[in-house]
Amino acid sequence: MVLTSSPFGGQSRTAALVALGLLEDSYPRELARVLARPLSGVQMALRGLERDGLVAGRLVGRTKLYRLNPRYFARDELKRYVVKLADADPALRARVEQLRRRPRRTGKPL
Amino acid sequence: MTLTSRSSLADVAAAVAGALRDAGIVAVLTGGACATIHSDGDYQSADLDFVVRSAATRKSLDAAMASIGFRRDGDRYLHPATSFFVEFPRGPLAIGDDLAITPVTVQLKRGPVLALSATDACRDRLAAFYHWADRQSLRVAVAIARRRRVHMAAIGRWSAKEGEEEKFREFKRELQRERQRVRDEAS
Repeated sequence: MVLTSSPFGGQSRTAALVALGLLEDSYPRELARVLARPLSGVQMALRGLERDGLVAGRLVGRTKLYRLNPRYFARDELKRYVVKLADADPALRARVEQLRRRPRRTGKPL
Repeated sequence: MTLTSRSSLADVAAAVAGALRDAGIVAVLTGGACATIHSDGDYQSADLDFVVRSAATRKSLDAAMASIGFRRDGDRYLHPATSFFVEFPRGPLAIGDDLAITPVTVQLKRGPVLALSATDACRDRLAAFYHWADRQSLRVAVAIARRRRVHMAAIGRWSAKEGEEEKFREFKRELQRERQRVRDEAS
């Protein structure tokens, strides 16, 4: 994690927002892996961001999927800003680019 | 052509294409294997998907594939000497909503292969970025566009039809950035 500043409070909050900006939606365990941060810290950051209205979480089965809050009044500006922040963190970008998110037919080996 | 453990994906593609051609089967290489070929190996697919565009039975496919040493296991064709496997997913050939795909003949070292054009391989990867936020696919689309001549205007029009103008702009920014990075490394 090379983020040079944390304009959204703690580094975990900023990092989680940046990762959500790139991934569009994600769950705490995936975010913790991508950010190389402890799960508990990521969960706490997400709860705080949710309280502030910056992210929104919804349950899918037993997993809570988070995304930048589409109802946040400055959602588009926020998205552009956090994606720009990602430019300052090539290591994070590289980890995000390792993730395969497109579907693969059941039974087809990876 | 004999396939060995050292055969590249392109070698396997050419061998399979040749065997299918000899059997009178028209099939188009699609998906990740096209991305591997058009990105000059920047992305490595483990399998080759051919969409059959002529009448072909399971038996005729089995025979064509057996002629170069592939044996069917379920829906997958495996070869004892290479880890690359081959599948024939059901068509139609489509990228997003676009069914009007015109394949091209790509000349590989070991023979011609009917495949997605660089532009369509790029769109195919962008579709995964657009619909699944798959940034690995964005990176591969950028790698293809940097190495091959792609029809950016056509990609832009298709992106607009898919309602993804913003992500298309992101793709163009990433491509510019990558070109700059390569220039910087060279100087």
